[in-house]
Amino acid sequence: MAENRLVTEIEKLKSEFDATTTKLIKDIKRHDKILARTDRDQMRELKKLEARLEEVQQLQTAQKELLDSFIKLIASAIDAKSKYTGGHCERVPELSLMIASEASKSKDGIFQEFSIETEDQKRELSIASWLHDCGKVVTPEYVVDKATKLETIYNRIHEVRTRFEVIHRDKTIEALEKKLAGEDATKVDQWLENEHNQLQKEFAIVAKANLGAEFMKDEDKEEIKQIASRTWVRNFDDTLGLAHEEKKRVLQENTTTPQVEQLLADKIRHIIPREFFDYEQYERMGFKTKVPEHLYNLGELYNICTSAGTLSYEERFKIQEHVQMTIIMLEKLPFPEYLKNVPLYAGAHHETLIGTGYPRELTIEDMPIASRIMAIADVFEALTASDRPYKEPKTLSASIRILSFMVKDKHLDKDIFELFLKSGIYKEYAKKYLKPEQIDDVDISQYIQG
Amino acid sequence: MEKLRIEETKYTPKIELDPAGTISMVGKSYPENTFEFYEPMMEWVREYFETSAAEVTTVNLEITYFNSSSSKLFFDFFDLLEENNEEHTIKINWIYDEENESAEESGEDFIEDFEDLDIQLVVK
Repeated sequence: MAENRLVTEIEKLKSEFDATTTKLIKDIKRHDKILARTDRDQMRELKKLEARLEEVQQLQTAQKELLDSFIKLIASAIDAKSKYTGGHCERVPELSLMIASEASKSKDGIFQEFSIETEDQKRELSIASWLHDCGKVVTPEYVVDKATKLETIYNRIHEVRTRFEVIHRDKTIEALEKKLAGEDATKVDQWLENEHNQLQKEFAIVAKANLGAEFMKDEDKEEIKQIASRTWVRNFDDTLGLAHEEKKRVLQENTTTPQVEQLLADKIRHIIPREFFDYEQYERMGFKTKVPEHLYNLGELYNICTSAGTLSYEERFKIQEHVQMTIIMLEKLPFPEYLKNVPLYAGAHHETLIGTGYPRELTIEDMPIASRIMAIADVFEALTASDRPYKEPKTLSASIRILSFMVKDKHLDKDIFELFLKSGIYKEYAKKYLKPEQIDDVDISQYIQG
Repeated sequence: MEKLRIEETKYTPKIELDPAGTISMVGKSYPENTFEFYEPMMEWVREYFETSAAEVTTVNLEITYFNSSSSKLFFDFFDLLEENNEEHTIKINWIYDEENESAEESGEDFIEDFEDLDIQLVVK
């Protein structure tokens, strides 16, 4: 019986063992199944991810292209807005990149630390260059294109000339009245001729000053003031035909008729007040340029007495404001990390090395090399551009001479200027963009100090 | 016996267990600790079949995605159902979206493994 018990025991164990083995086999098969399922799912996920990655890459490329097109759209809008800028926004990036890649190769002096090798770095500088003038979209055209001192939306010299015409006739009438009163006709004719000649001379002086081509010395201004003090009589109500804003300004003056008027005058109506100016933002953005009290001063005498150029103090500020606008606009854009310097680069192209530039009055320490490169590219392009109808393009040698003066005044960087010359970039650029008659020989040795 | 309800999270399914005869799971299954997560459910199901199973038990499973340890757990769960299949009437619906091939194939796997269970593939 003992044997039987043992057999029973063994059979029991065997059957348990069999059951366990079956379970184990089942379990192993299940595990294989789970593995196979997991592999299948992983492959599926991987393919899905790959497809999505490709899609993301395509979207990224499309987004870059879209961004580039937008940038070009803005730049071409600025270039199209003013005949003064032509293809400026398009050529400055090219020139900047030419100088930058040369600077990147050089290991001398300030260029030791400077490198612009990756596509992203180039893109950053290129975008900054494309957009450096984007703030000009808000600059009034009359300021950008102000060709004469009396110009507002219209050159007011015609209005002044009409007053001369009025005085001219007044003199003729005065002469006739003298004759009627029995004065000696010959003497009166002589007097009238003198008066008329004087008027012609004076108008010529005013008209010449209006061009702003020559610097006005104090005695020139005195002479203008003398001429301006001539009078004529206004018989018509000059508040008629005015729009609300202008009328409000004119009504602050004595508008009764007949009124003795000065030939050229500075009046209350000429002051356009500065309203809605965000001084807090101005300070927050670190802008240092002094803000003129008035938005504009259209005073006739005031404008004619502008010392150099055609822009008044207020208008000059308005022009300089374009860089502030560039910075404000660009800082609002959510640039990705690799483009984070775009506002900085673009916003510093009118700074000098000694704190006399705008809008932040930066000095060389705060001015990145990229901005200093853009500053030179900006000036050189403007000097050599042959698509500005208002001026003859300068020759290559004359343009480089002007750059050298700006270098001497520490407005432009000396090292970059020398690199620009030594590398021959100026020639390369000239060949591409200057007219053959502009390209002359340049003796660069005179500008390079060892 | 009380109902048991576990709310859905980002990585775990909604589970509803009703002694009136329904067991349902809806959602994804990627728990941090799968066996711990499903333990209350498994415990409930065991007790349900032992003490108060309804005449017909309907099991609705709509698991869109699940990890391998969940897969293992579902096998265990089907084992449990199979153990009770003789004494109880159990109807299982494996519900999946038409576009979800992975879920469909898994359903087919379960059918193949558990010949005695009444598993229906239901396209949503």
